[in-house]
Amino acid sequence: MAPNEALKAQIIREFEAERRVTLLRLRLQQALVLVGFSALIAACFHVSGFFGGSQGSDPWGRIANLLDIMIPDLKAGVIFEDRATKGSLASWFYDMPTWLSLLWETVQIAIVATLFGIFGGFWASLLASKNLSPSPIIHWLTRRTLEVIRTLPDLIVALILVAAFGVGPLPGVIAIALGTMASLGKLYSEANEAADMRPVEAVRAVGGSWWAQVRFGVLPQVLPHYASYGLLRLEINVGAAAALGVVGAGGIGIELSRAITYTEFDTYFALLILIIGLIILIDLVSEAVRHRLIGLESPA
Amino acid sequence: MTRVASLTVPPLIAAQEMEAARQIAPHLIDTPFAVQLRRFVLWVGLSALFIALCIGVDMTPAAFARGLTKLADFMRGMFPPNAAGGEVRILQALAATFAMAVTGTFLGVLGALPLGLLGAKTFVANPVLHFLIRRSFDVFRAIPALVWALILIVAFGLGPFGGVIALALTDIPRLGKLYAEAIENSDPRPQEGIRATGGQRRAAIRFGLLPEVLPVMASQSLYMLESNFRNAAILGIVGAGGIGFELEERIRIFAFDQVAWIVIAYVLCVMALDYVSEKIRSKLVHG
Repeated sequence: MAPNEALKAQIIREFEAERRVTLLRLRLQQALVLVGFSALIAACFHVSGFFGGSQGSDPWGRIANLLDIMIPDLKAGVIFEDRATKGSLASWFYDMPTWLSLLWETVQIAIVATLFGIFGGFWASLLASKNLSPSPIIHWLTRRTLEVIRTLPDLIVALILVAAFGVGPLPGVIAIALGTMASLGKLYSEANEAADMRPVEAVRAVGGSWWAQVRFGVLPQVLPHYASYGLLRLEINVGAAAALGVVGAGGIGIELSRAITYTEFDTYFALLILIIGLIILIDLVSEAVRHRLIGLESPA
Repeated sequence: MTRVASLTVPPLIAAQEMEAARQIAPHLIDTPFAVQLRRFVLWVGLSALFIALCIGVDMTPAAFARGLTKLADFMRGMFPPNAAGGEVRILQALAATFAMAVTGTFLGVLGALPLGLLGAKTFVANPVLHFLIRRSFDVFRAIPALVWALILIVAFGLGPFGGVIALALTDIPRLGKLYAEAIENSDPRPQEGIRATGGQRRAAIRFGLLPEVLPVMASQSLYMLESNFRNAAILGIVGAGGIGFELEERIRIFAFDQVAWIVIAYVLCVMALDYVSEKIRSKLVHG
């Protein structure tokens, strides 16, 4: 009995020792990660001048001041008076016709860019999906190209395109269309790869060409996904198009940067309200269309 | 080859059977003229609308060709890429942009944590309130960081501070929505177990909810960091400094060899960050 007891005690001792070491190593690891993470955050806060930069000594005061100059002096008595009256709604939104036409231009940029993006993304996705691509080399090349385009923010592309195409909506359309193509190309190719390959094989078995295989084998399966991704992208693109004007690529952004240049902060606030309204509108329309598409896909 | 095959195989439906079918349900065999007309009008209308939209945004072949010739000039100017002795400055700017992205994401996470909890159906059960909170996330999510940055940089002065706040403001609704969904999708049984053994609501959150949702939330925050690195780069255009500022300066003086150098360095950095972040994310989610 005694040697057995001793062995048991020995095993328990060894286990305890190993447990202590493991725990210690784990704690050490956690401490190291924590220290490293805190150091990274601290360094980043320091580099971005978060504490004591040019923002002055009284950040809360400055925020309050900013909100104060952004909110217009509306007077209850004259709120529905015309533009000339100070304190009326019309004098706050004093350039409404221009803004509405610029908002419409923003929507146009978003729609045209999304359509071109869907078209380009569709063709890119055919080349980029493993099951449909004509050759592995093309598959690899298309994927990498789409990746590189996706890393470039659309505003930087727009900046270069504005230098080439001049100030106006066209560079904005191309920039957004490129970004849309790259991201939809990826999403669409994932949808293609998830598609059931049996219809494709059936079309191939009766002698269908590559295009017939895509058209009758793949498209009926993936079209609802395509449409829903495209509509989601349209919502994103309306927001992106609203910002593009800041670099001269058309849309309401031009007025945003003009309001800042002339320090009309209440106008900026008015434009922000209009942009938010536009986004809500596009959101509702796109949601209705998407629900309809889902309804068409599976009739109740 | 297919044609030969179809000659040897007898047709599935004989001609007179086809004729009989046409008698019974003509609209299934031949497309009625009204439907054809409607389709035609629809296509013409949609095409006309599309062309009108294209003209509305100056998307005309002439404007396109003019811009493309200029763009080709720029492209030729990009080779060979050349930093013109500004390597250190550019790398420093990249580091500053990264720092801006990390700081903005960190503040965004701090702001989104309570909002995500409020946006989860399991915490705010009132359907009207829930709808309003989630809808406001959706609306603010669509406002680009640049629109926030434009006014914040005027308010706080040139420099990264306004940019950081702009990034945080962009992140809060996006992360808030993701966090809320993560919390809603969590398994309620561990929390119920803790409540059943007499644990407080706080204990239920700490030991029932957090172990399940924290990895998901951390992964989503990392994803937001990737997106912020791209956003931070554009904020330089409106005065937040960093790589966007360097880039805009060189585009303005048409120094496209330097633009190409910066873009390549930037793309490599983004890819490196995406790679590291994806490794960490897959480790977080799959253990």
